[in-house]
Amino acid sequence: MKKLSIKKIWKTITGDRQLLAGTIGLALLLLLAVAAAAVATENPYHYGKDMLVGLGENGHILGTNHMGQDIYSMIIYGIRTSLKVAVISALISGALGVFIGGIGGFFGGKVDTFISELINVFMMLPSFFLILLIIAMFGNSITNVMIVIGITTWPSNAKLMRAQALSLRERTFVKSAVAMGETKRQILFKYIIPNGIFPVIANTTMGMSNAILTEAGLSFLGLGDPGIISWGQMIYTGKQYITSAWWISAFAGAAIVVTVLVFYLLGDGLNHVLDPKYSRKRG
Amino acid sequence: MKRFIFRRVLTGILTIIIVFALNFVIIKMAPGDPITTLMGKENSSPEMRQALEEKYGLDKPLPLQFFSYLKTAATGDLGISIIYNRPVSEMISEKVGATVLLGLTSAILAAVIGTFMGIVAARREGGAFDAVSSGVSYAFNSMPAFWLGLMLIILFSSMLGWFPSFGMTDTRAGFTGAAYVLDVLKHMFLPVLTLTLVLLPQYFRIAKSSVLQTKNEEFIMTFKATGMSKKKIFNKYIFRNAILPTITIFGISMAYLITGVTLIEIVFAWPGMGRLVMTAITQRDYPTLMGIYLIMSISVAVVMLIVDIVYALLDPRIRYE
Amino acid sequence: MERLLTLENVNVSYVNKDKKVYAVKNAGFSINKGDSLGVVGESGSGKSTLAMALLRLHDESRTEITGKALFEGKNLLELTQEEMNALRWKDISVVFQKAMNSLSPVHRISEQVEDIYRVHEPHASKKEIEERMIYLLKLVNLPERVYRLYPHEMSGGMLQRTAIAVSLLHSPKLIIFDEATTALDVVTQGQILEEVVQMEQEISMTRIMITHDMSVVAASCNKVAVMYAGEFMEIGYVKDIFKNPMHPYTKGLLNSFPSLKGENETLHAIPGFLPDLSKPEPGCVFASRCPQASERCRREKPACQELKDGRQIACWLYQGGETHE
Repeated sequence: MKKLSIKKIWKTITGDRQLLAGTIGLALLLLLAVAAAAVATENPYHYGKDMLVGLGENGHILGTNHMGQDIYSMIIYGIRTSLKVAVISALISGALGVFIGGIGGFFGGKVDTFISELINVFMMLPSFFLILLIIAMFGNSITNVMIVIGITTWPSNAKLMRAQALSLRERTFVKSAVAMGETKRQILFKYIIPNGIFPVIANTTMGMSNAILTEAGLSFLGLGDPGIISWGQMIYTGKQYITSAWWISAFAGAAIVVTVLVFYLLGDGLNHVLDPKYSRKRG
Repeated sequence: MKRFIFRRVLTGILTIIIVFALNFVIIKMAPGDPITTLMGKENSSPEMRQALEEKYGLDKPLPLQFFSYLKTAATGDLGISIIYNRPVSEMISEKVGATVLLGLTSAILAAVIGTFMGIVAARREGGAFDAVSSGVSYAFNSMPAFWLGLMLIILFSSMLGWFPSFGMTDTRAGFTGAAYVLDVLKHMFLPVLTLTLVLLPQYFRIAKSSVLQTKNEEFIMTFKATGMSKKKIFNKYIFRNAILPTITIFGISMAYLITGVTLIEIVFAWPGMGRLVMTAITQRDYPTLMGIYLIMSISVAVVMLIVDIVYALLDPRIRYE
Repeated sequence: MERLLTLENVNVSYVNKDKKVYAVKNAGFSINKGDSLGVVGESGSGKSTLAMALLRLHDESRTEITGKALFEGKNLLELTQEEMNALRWKDISVVFQKAMNSLSPVHRISEQVEDIYRVHEPHASKKEIEERMIYLLKLVNLPERVYRLYPHEMSGGMLQRTAIAVSLLHSPKLIIFDEATTALDVVTQGQILEEVVQMEQEISMTRIMITHDMSVVAASCNKVAVMYAGEFMEIGYVKDIFKNPMHPYTKGLLNSFPSLKGENETLHAIPGFLPDLSKPEPGCVFASRCPQASERCRREKPACQELKDGRQIACWLYQGGETHE
């Protein structure tokens, strides 16, 4: 069936400009996240004596904030938070979406009517405010943030998975599995989900961008986790010093833009190469 | 058509009921007891506690509780703000005008400019304009709106001093008439610019891709074969067919818009719902937060309903379904 | 008989970067006024490419055309797009295959017809156009109310009839049917072909019928040109060729062609596939599939010969007018 050699993957990645840019970007981000301690010049949790120091002064490449923390080091460590939020919330959202959408599309009938109506309704809701409300009431730990983002953003994944399941259900290999007497659960997990998951993967990558932006938005409203370093919170604290120490907010925001862009490019690239036309070839 | 509208209205109503249900579940599940959540921790008045318990029927079974919650909300009673001790609905209605002004202006500007740019880019696909605007749209799409707002403040207020960075009017000046309008416009400039810039990319992309798609439709070949001028084919047939997805996007982006507006209002101290959200968060004013969530969800549902109906009117294929 | 269109040495090739692929090679035929010519061949044989080239509707940046296509003395291949526009629909019109998509889905037929009519008659009144179109709708057996409908409110057969009516708006001298009945069911296809033939007795019309289906040619044409891999194999009168097909490819086509009532619509009765046009070989293009191919066929390309009954044929079997029957 599908045999993905490293050579083939390499060829696919280098064949699509957006995918190539996204992959390189992600690799760099991962590298920086892992080697944060080596790359950063200071411990970002350390409150130094130099407060609100400008660019390049006293060895602070990107200056410091009002607590004397080194901005450059904070940005490097912030990658960890952003990647964590992106990956975990997107995984939750993707898993829920695949499961709910898969069931709807595969079982059809009343189950599907119910699920697709549910998807329609949830797609209409402004999820950011729901997240905000829950975080405000249940506490603003980073774990809560990731879980809540995950469980409020599944509808778009479910919608894609449902459409995939609907068409896969009519394919011969699924029909023959039904005829062979395999149970519905077996078919769902063995045939429907593995064969229909490709568009969801691309969408989940886009979802990672949105998770990063959502976390930043929450932090900007003062709902970030105070125990960690996040770019959103840096913008939030920097807001008060926007005229005197612009660097606190400016670089953190730029880091968000770059990271989000990497995931968007990756998602677009994956969309190109995981297009149904391509996946049919391996089917 | 009638069936289509009927169905959409039903979904709309369902959405609103689900929003209420979510709110209800959140109060029920939140740490601490619901009454304390609604009253605030510092408030220990037993009369108020009893009044709230009666109002929401907390001694009754769960479904009945939800029903009385729905009934109260249906009369426009969204609860009392903990800190201001005023009805939440009243506070929201005071602020909503400023928010709508900001949001609607930006959404319309983004839709018009983004669509126009998308069409131009599609006409010369692969050209310089297309390359530059596609790249720029990627970048703006990746920007947190509130950060862009701050950066524009640095540039246009701190450095250049061209535009005010906060508020809706200059309260000290006390302008009236045309001067007042001009003052509001000046204050609006930066927040509207920010929002327009972050909303624009999706209109740009959808317009570009749907023009490109329509260009390859069979019927365009028919019109070319009739000798019709390229200009006429583009301005009438490609445009009309390609504009439809833009309308859908206008509806879909409502939720995103409302989020953006809220955050932007906080950046620019615009006296709208965003400020209300901010104070409600810092003061743990849960009834206000929930009221705002309700109102926003309902408005998004209603706007999307209207957009869908407008779409149905413009696309004959839906009208006769 | 008056000549309407003469093709001489027409070559069409697609240019992609530095690669060049022939789609049509050395095409040559002529049509007189009142003729109906069926251009028949498998999909990929270049027949639609030729039609698009005659209408100059191909992507000009990626296509190279040489040769002559004389339409009433004017070389269509050398006209500017403006000159072509003056000619389009007024002198040459076309009916495309996908009736469902051949008109804008969000405009009424009336609005589109008005716009199309006014390309050449800018001052025509709405009433005038409506009368003209309703006359044409009746000609193709459609009710008046069609004029007010949207495309999606009609069936495939109705839409294709409408498309035919639209193509007749300016009474063009030549109409090209590009697989115009292929997407329809066999019964509707038969009806429409019958109507078209009948219609031609009322109004004078010259027609090119691009199709992969010999039965369409049999039902609606007086001349036939058989195309294979971008080249013409045999051209002549339907009555001659159907009675006595000479080229091995024509024979194969006629053996495999489904009748209008038949179900089999494929041409797989001839074993093998079209050759790769990006790697042209020296001999006859059909040689690899030809049951009568000789060593010479694979080495040298046969020239197009005119036989006594006026038919043209490109085959070594008949070189010098001799027939090996």
